[in-house]
Amino acid sequence: MPHGGILVAISLLLEQLLNALALAGLLFLVSAGLSLVFGILRVVNFAHGVFYMLGAYLGFTVVALTGWFWPALVIVPPVVGLVGAVLESSTLRFIYRRLPIYQLLLTFGLALILEESIRVLYGPTAKGVDPPPLLQGSIPLGAIVYPRYRLFLVVLGLVVGAAVWLFLKRTRTGLVIRAVAQNAEMADCLGADVARVRTLVFGAACALAGLGGVAAAPMTTAYLGMGIGVIVDAFVVVVIGGLGSIPGSMAGSLIVGAAQTWGAYYLPETAMVIMYAVMGAILIFRPWGLFGEEE
Amino acid sequence: MRRREFLATATVSGAALAVGAPVFLRRAYAQNPIKIGLPTVLSGGNAQYGIQAKRASELFAKDIKGKGILGRPVEFIYEDTGADPATAVRKAQKLVEKDGVKFLTGTVLSSEALAVSAKCPEWKVILMSTINGAGALTAKSFNRYFFRVNTSGPMGARAVSLYLAEGPMKRLFALGSDYAWGRDSVASFSAQIEAAKKEVVGKEYPPVGTKDFASYIAKVRQSKAEGVYLVLVGQDATIFLKQAHQFGLTKDVKPIMEIVELENMKAVGDAMEGTIGSSRYPFTVDTPKNHAFVKRFHDMHGVYPDMFDGETYEGLEWLAQVIQKAGTADDVEKVIEAWEDSSYEGLEGPFFMRKCDHQAVQPGFAVQAVKDPKYPHLIPKILATFPGDKVTPKCRTEEFS
Amino acid sequence: MTRPRALALAAVVVLAVLPWVLVRYQLSILTDVLIFGLFALSLDLIMGYTGMVSFGHAAYFGLGAYGSALVLIHFGQPIPVALLAGALLAGVIAAPVGWFSTRATGIYFAMLTLAFAQLLYTVAYKWRDLTGGSDGIAGVPKTALFWGGPSLASPRAFYFVVAGAVVLSLVLCRALTRSPFGRALQAVRENERRFIALGRDPRPFKLVVFVIAAVFAGLAGALFAPFRGFASPEVMFWVLSGQGLMMVVVGGIGTLIGPIVGAMVFILVQEVLSSYTEHWMIFTGAIFVLMVIFLPGGLVGTARRLASRA
Repeated sequence: MPHGGILVAISLLLEQLLNALALAGLLFLVSAGLSLVFGILRVVNFAHGVFYMLGAYLGFTVVALTGWFWPALVIVPPVVGLVGAVLESSTLRFIYRRLPIYQLLLTFGLALILEESIRVLYGPTAKGVDPPPLLQGSIPLGAIVYPRYRLFLVVLGLVVGAAVWLFLKRTRTGLVIRAVAQNAEMADCLGADVARVRTLVFGAACALAGLGGVAAAPMTTAYLGMGIGVIVDAFVVVVIGGLGSIPGSMAGSLIVGAAQTWGAYYLPETAMVIMYAVMGAILIFRPWGLFGEEE
Repeated sequence: MRRREFLATATVSGAALAVGAPVFLRRAYAQNPIKIGLPTVLSGGNAQYGIQAKRASELFAKDIKGKGILGRPVEFIYEDTGADPATAVRKAQKLVEKDGVKFLTGTVLSSEALAVSAKCPEWKVILMSTINGAGALTAKSFNRYFFRVNTSGPMGARAVSLYLAEGPMKRLFALGSDYAWGRDSVASFSAQIEAAKKEVVGKEYPPVGTKDFASYIAKVRQSKAEGVYLVLVGQDATIFLKQAHQFGLTKDVKPIMEIVELENMKAVGDAMEGTIGSSRYPFTVDTPKNHAFVKRFHDMHGVYPDMFDGETYEGLEWLAQVIQKAGTADDVEKVIEAWEDSSYEGLEGPFFMRKCDHQAVQPGFAVQAVKDPKYPHLIPKILATFPGDKVTPKCRTEEFS
Repeated sequence: MTRPRALALAAVVVLAVLPWVLVRYQLSILTDVLIFGLFALSLDLIMGYTGMVSFGHAAYFGLGAYGSALVLIHFGQPIPVALLAGALLAGVIAAPVGWFSTRATGIYFAMLTLAFAQLLYTVAYKWRDLTGGSDGIAGVPKTALFWGGPSLASPRAFYFVVAGAVVLSLVLCRALTRSPFGRALQAVRENERRFIALGRDPRPFKLVVFVIAAVFAGLAGALFAPFRGFASPEVMFWVLSGQGLMMVVVGGIGTLIGPIVGAMVFILVQEVLSSYTEHWMIFTGAIFVLMVIFLPGGLVGTARRLASRA
């Protein structure tokens, strides 16, 4: 084939780009919720990774029971969101007035309980999930073939991101949520049911994490400890993008996804170190991240 | 005032009692049993290995019921270390000092084994490895209270290299998790395969816990390798195989794994068909003793034995034999003496415990993951069996002659 | 003699006598509790007295452990030398980290400490030649009290070194918090804006206390290495930092003695629960959640509150 070398090079570039976007899509699903919980509730949710894991395992169960993947995408997030909402309203709700350290440690404790419960229910071995037939296999792209499922992740990330952002910016509930984020007491005086808003946001964040888990399962399987693995990445994304900002989470996911993808290709040993350095630099010089609001 | 002191004393006493209580509970129903302690991993990501140690112990306990060793019943005590060396040492110390255990086994991470092994001379107890692969345990970090019954990492790499040396593949890529085992095994493999006049066209070390191997898959493909040698942590291997299959890599580049586990096969499924590699214990070994074991294991646990199920069972059986031979389970020195230079007919074949480094010389296996309608998942078909002296490194080293 | 002083003296006497009362295994647990109690105590210096939450404190424990392990294994020096090496290493690294970290406040400070700690963890993990990489350094010996002095290999002897170090540290920390410097720290915690408005810069204070806390954490780590006989990257991992935070909260933030009690409760609960059930993590998590909600002052904080009402 003429110009074979150039075609190969372009195909490779395209492949890396798509890899970065797919990874960014997944990272976004995981970190958007974390960012919201921090921006609006001012709580660092250490249990966030476990909700992601719960989503993956529940996804496995739905697929195992129904034989279909698509229902999992629809059923699992609300279930995970409900679990989160119940936990929030029975524990976290009582300690919002306290120092942030208490809320953080409470989520730490919840994470321990949830993680071990999942192990009790599912056992210690990893659970494989297959993508739906529509998304299986790969499509040819120049000199390479690219998995369909990853393309789906890119699309999913964009769609969910747009949906959440529109919800916050254009709906009445979204407006109330943003009001509570800016000044909870004032919003309370103005008649907003602050406690309910908080529960809603926390539940929604968990639902997003659960969605991330379902989406990740065909790519990584559902396994114990997947929460811990992803939460550090999520923190980096949220710090870079800005705590509380959806566009920030998108930007952060793109940056981290690209850094990890190209980093793994060119500098696998130091990729993580560079990420921590970037995170540190942002925290020192621009702690509210790229898109966050200066406090 | 007085109340506070009372509360303090009560708390301390209560805590002390709670710490001591289980000992009394256990003593109630045991009459001078031989105790085997397992500071293993029962929670978190590595629990799938601790479970194997436990399953094998449970089957062994059942098999030996009524007979015991030296007429004494055998008691297994399991502790969860959470894959943390500090906890492993703490639990091992508890087993030794509180429960009076003289035989430890079931350590999962090599770092846990190294830490516990270093303490054995002080505690005067035996640590029997049935899982740990780190070459250093019988080389640089050797001490005479440590015995390794399982195939070590270097031995697994050796079996794979021997098989590939005779095979047609000439260009190989090596992918090892970025920690001790991954790096050592890739180094060992590279040295041996290059001595067999093959070419290692690339080496990469993805961090432990990598969830996205896309970039590595791209690199492997570009290197035009015929096979990719994988030394990845269990879960990472599962993820890699799944993603490599999704990218269509496995059609062009053959996956070769230093260890081929049933765990991977169950989680990855058919996407792994055709993968070759080494297995520390393939349950398909064709001997009457092994078939009987597999049947008993399947009847008790409902699953087929994975690598460490088999290795742990063999270790326990051998330990029992050695204690019998020594005539005592309390004088550890005598047990050590009895074990050194002893032979054992295992499930996989003949074992010999070298005195110089306490590594059990045993057969090495090259296997392939194949489909078999009799089983609910892929199974390891044995492609080649290598005699023990060909796959075991020189004494106290990680090199082969 | 005042009441608190009498109690303190009684506690010291009890600590001195316990090695002959307790069984060997219980002595090991007590030594463990004291080491982690010291770690938690050092964390309380930052948390309780300046209100800063550090997610990366385990890094200094780890640095202390590695420093001490290397000195003991490669140079065979007496234990106090190893302790000094570990504590100093922790302090030296803490200085630049603290300098950068204290430029941020609140949650950003916490995340920055986490980022730095992860960085150090990655270095420990990858610098195989020095740290043994993921395998760590095993076989760290308990050497002697001083050159040509008595060996500290016996559990009792080592226990006294640990107990002595912890008691001394507690005394020093208490003195620190009562000093003018300590009072300035508390002013920073109470109302940082007012502190600045009064014309004072809180940053040097925060930096100094950060480094001091790191030094004590390093001391705890330096005791850990010969006690358990090894150092590995896990002792620098953020999970240990989280456990430290739990110990401080369970014991009582800002009470100094509380964290030591918290360490005892944390370790004992794990020990006892894990003997009874494989699912001890659920109970530990549940107990912890309940404590955070109902006993925010921690055990010591709540006890003091109740006592002052009595």
